[in-house]
Amino acid sequence: MKILIVGAGQVGYFLCERLSFEGHEVTLIDRDPDHLRRAQDRLNVLGLQGNGASAETLEQAGIKNCDIFIAVADLDEINILACLLAREYGVSTRIARVKSIEYTGGGAVLSKEKLGIDLMINPEDAVAEELVKIACRSGAFDVAEFVEGQIQFLGYRIGEDSPLCELTLRELGEIRGIYRFVVTAISRGGRTIIPRGDDTIQAGDSIFIFAHQKDLPTIQYMMQLKEEKKRRNRRVFILGGGRIGLHIAEELERLHFEVRLVERDLARCEKLSAKLKRTMVIHAEGTEIDTLIEEGVERADVFIAVTGNDESNILCSLLARQHGARRVMALVNKPELLTLAGSLGIDACVSPRLAAAGAILKYVRRGEVISLATIEGSNAEVLEIEVKAGRQVIGAALKTLHFPQGAIIGAIVRGQNYEIPTGDSTLEAGDRVVIFALPGALAKVERFFE
Amino acid sequence: MNILLTLRVLGALLLFLAAALLVPIPFSLFYHDGALWSFVISAAVCLVIGLALFRGCNSNKELSLREGFAIVTFGWSLFALFGALPYVFSGAIPSYLDAVFETMSGFTTTGSSILVEIEALPKSMLLWRALTHWLGGMGIIVLSLAILPMLGVGGMQLFKAEVPGPTTDRLKPRIQDTAKLLWGVYVLLTAMETLLLMLGDMSFFDALCHSFATLATGGFSTRNASVAAYDSAYIDWIITLFMFLAGVNFTLHYQALRGRLRDIYRNEEFIFYLAITFGATVLLVILNQGAVYHSVVDNLRFSAFQATSIMTTTGFATADYEKWPVLAQYLLIFLMFVGGCAGSTSGGMKVARILLLFKHAHVQIYRLIHPRAVRLVKFGGTPVDREVMQSILGFFALYMGIFVFASALMAASGLDVVSAGASVIATLGNIGPGIGSVGPIDNFSHVSDFGKSVLVGCMLLGRLELFTVLVLFFPTFWRK
Repeated sequence: MKILIVGAGQVGYFLCERLSFEGHEVTLIDRDPDHLRRAQDRLNVLGLQGNGASAETLEQAGIKNCDIFIAVADLDEINILACLLAREYGVSTRIARVKSIEYTGGGAVLSKEKLGIDLMINPEDAVAEELVKIACRSGAFDVAEFVEGQIQFLGYRIGEDSPLCELTLRELGEIRGIYRFVVTAISRGGRTIIPRGDDTIQAGDSIFIFAHQKDLPTIQYMMQLKEEKKRRNRRVFILGGGRIGLHIAEELERLHFEVRLVERDLARCEKLSAKLKRTMVIHAEGTEIDTLIEEGVERADVFIAVTGNDESNILCSLLARQHGARRVMALVNKPELLTLAGSLGIDACVSPRLAAAGAILKYVRRGEVISLATIEGSNAEVLEIEVKAGRQVIGAALKTLHFPQGAIIGAIVRGQNYEIPTGDSTLEAGDRVVIFALPGALAKVERFFE
Repeated sequence: MNILLTLRVLGALLLFLAAALLVPIPFSLFYHDGALWSFVISAAVCLVIGLALFRGCNSNKELSLREGFAIVTFGWSLFALFGALPYVFSGAIPSYLDAVFETMSGFTTTGSSILVEIEALPKSMLLWRALTHWLGGMGIIVLSLAILPMLGVGGMQLFKAEVPGPTTDRLKPRIQDTAKLLWGVYVLLTAMETLLLMLGDMSFFDALCHSFATLATGGFSTRNASVAAYDSAYIDWIITLFMFLAGVNFTLHYQALRGRLRDIYRNEEFIFYLAITFGATVLLVILNQGAVYHSVVDNLRFSAFQATSIMTTTGFATADYEKWPVLAQYLLIFLMFVGGCAGSTSGGMKVARILLLFKHAHVQIYRLIHPRAVRLVKFGGTPVDREVMQSILGFFALYMGIFVFASALMAASGLDVVSAGASVIATLGNIGPGIGSVGPIDNFSHVSDFGKSVLVGCMLLGRLELFTVLVLFFPTFWRK
């Protein structure tokens, strides 16, 4: 497919990387020659310098033959205008990143239909929603939902005191009894593997599992440490009262968390206080640990650092963890720092770039792939695929088919029922299959189902 | 201060008063009560002086904030001074000071009276008494704004200075349109009450006068025994209902008429007002049950009436609450301080101010526990401006200060301890009856001339919410 991307920022770069890796023909437009050079040098894409909202530049980039148009420049207005132009040129799929609430809110006068945008994505909102999801699933650092939330994909960090430590998957299978879940991947030292029965779970690993929603409470019980008792009031500290912090606070307030929002700018504090209902807004720096202790960070269940600065997010969340916050999360923009988080003991690092790119990739690949999530710190992905009638895979036992290396089926959902697949399982038309795939296997998996 | 312009506008207001003085004339003709000429002469006096001021003082400058304060304060004083003329000319109230007291009490919707024998007054004079309430309730100057286009310039200052409450809602972009809407609602509610009272076998005249007094939260009745004279549960409940409605912000009535009920139950002040009225009624019923009343139905009827009457600062009476248990009386005194909602016709400190004072206190205590927390005083979900909060704190301090000072003056004038305090709160809060020698079955005729003058001042201060009047006493106000 021919894909045109406007904006070589972080999201644009990441999309180029993924899409060109999958064999698409990607053209990248940006005003800044340095950004372009960086992308062109490292990635297999064609760069074009110019204004993404100019018809001339777009024609030069070959918009007339383009299948997918993605506008992720910094300015909303450029992205919107570029999409309007793309509609005039008859591009079938148009995606834009839009930050302003004026365009994205429910009551927006200019709806995305009127603006000619198929998918409107806001990285900050996407990342805030992701953080809220993780905060709600106690213990997990990565959460994605499939098949309308029936199948959950969860990531857990294994500490030294974890009950799962030093167990092989076969042993785990014996103790897990009736609770059905699949360990699909283990991430160790920046490398992600699909484990076999004799692989051991070690301290410091991150494990990724598939489970049905109704088994969640028991799994969470199994994962958590013995001394951790369920507390009635879940207390959350949020560091940074920017748009992401405000969004998280609003969501968690609604979910009856006890929210404390720390912001260093007094004028901003007053604005936050005006907008939020029950949240306590604290005027302090994230490193002023005495103030945070006074306000109870020691008994916090979750500490979320979402300031604009990666380093202070990481440092402040570590500081909070040292002073007793049970789970800490940090917003990290720089891709280099993302993999660092796990080894430092931060429960979850999320990046607006990944969140936005994940949503865009999901949309671009729609077709047979229904849903998709990208996994923190690695290029692995989780896909949800619907098995269409008349495919070769239907009817045969899985072990007789050549399922691609580097991928694993986590669950098969058939109507209201679901199955953890074994070698004898078969697929039927209309089944929805959730698959974990390492980057190299992605294309093979898609081909497998064709 | 532009004196010429101020005098010109005051002249226009006198012309308006002259027109108002014509209203009782048809009633006087109909009832042949002999008060015809006193109204004609009074109207003529207002007309001549008003025209002289209006024509004589020419100024093409615009109204500023300062003139606004001066016009409202002096305008209200002029209304009391000239509105008293018919009482004196007809001989109904021989003393001019007494007549001014009665008129000021009327315009400020206080309802305190120096009359011992009310029923002896000519019918047209009774109507004038009720009419002063009705005109003063929604604000004479607001009414003039709606009618006289000449006052249009700088109207918001006048509007702000006259409409009660810490902040002013604007329904329409043009202040004249807002004034017209509010008066429209006011007229509609008055007409409804008049009709409902007539269905309860009240004469048209009595129904009209009582509706004027109810909607304005005034309290002048046409009977010596006030509303108790009718001894009808139906009339009591109708008046209770309309007193309650008159204590509600009139912009809310307007929203209700437009079908926007959501605005009403989302209005924090209204909910609090409802809760206080309801809570006070329940408490009074509990306190009075067995001690004063034996039937729950009667108890509820009288407790609800007195609670609403005092809370909305109307001051009608159907029971002598001085015979109630002391705690019940104490509760009523508390209600006297509270008053109705901002933007209503009631007096007192207003529910919004009390609510915000409590919220402010709560935030202060919260800050002691969480010194670094940033927390704002919110009202209806939106933060309250620091300036508004400060003006409320200032208002509270001044209100209490004036209460203490004026009570001392009343004690000096010869009243006993309880009556001195009660007479001040009854007039400062624009309620009407107090406790002690100025209670619901007594009147103010026994107060000395000095005492009456102090109370006249209190009524004006209370109606114009202190600041508008007090600002005139600052020397810098008069300097250029």
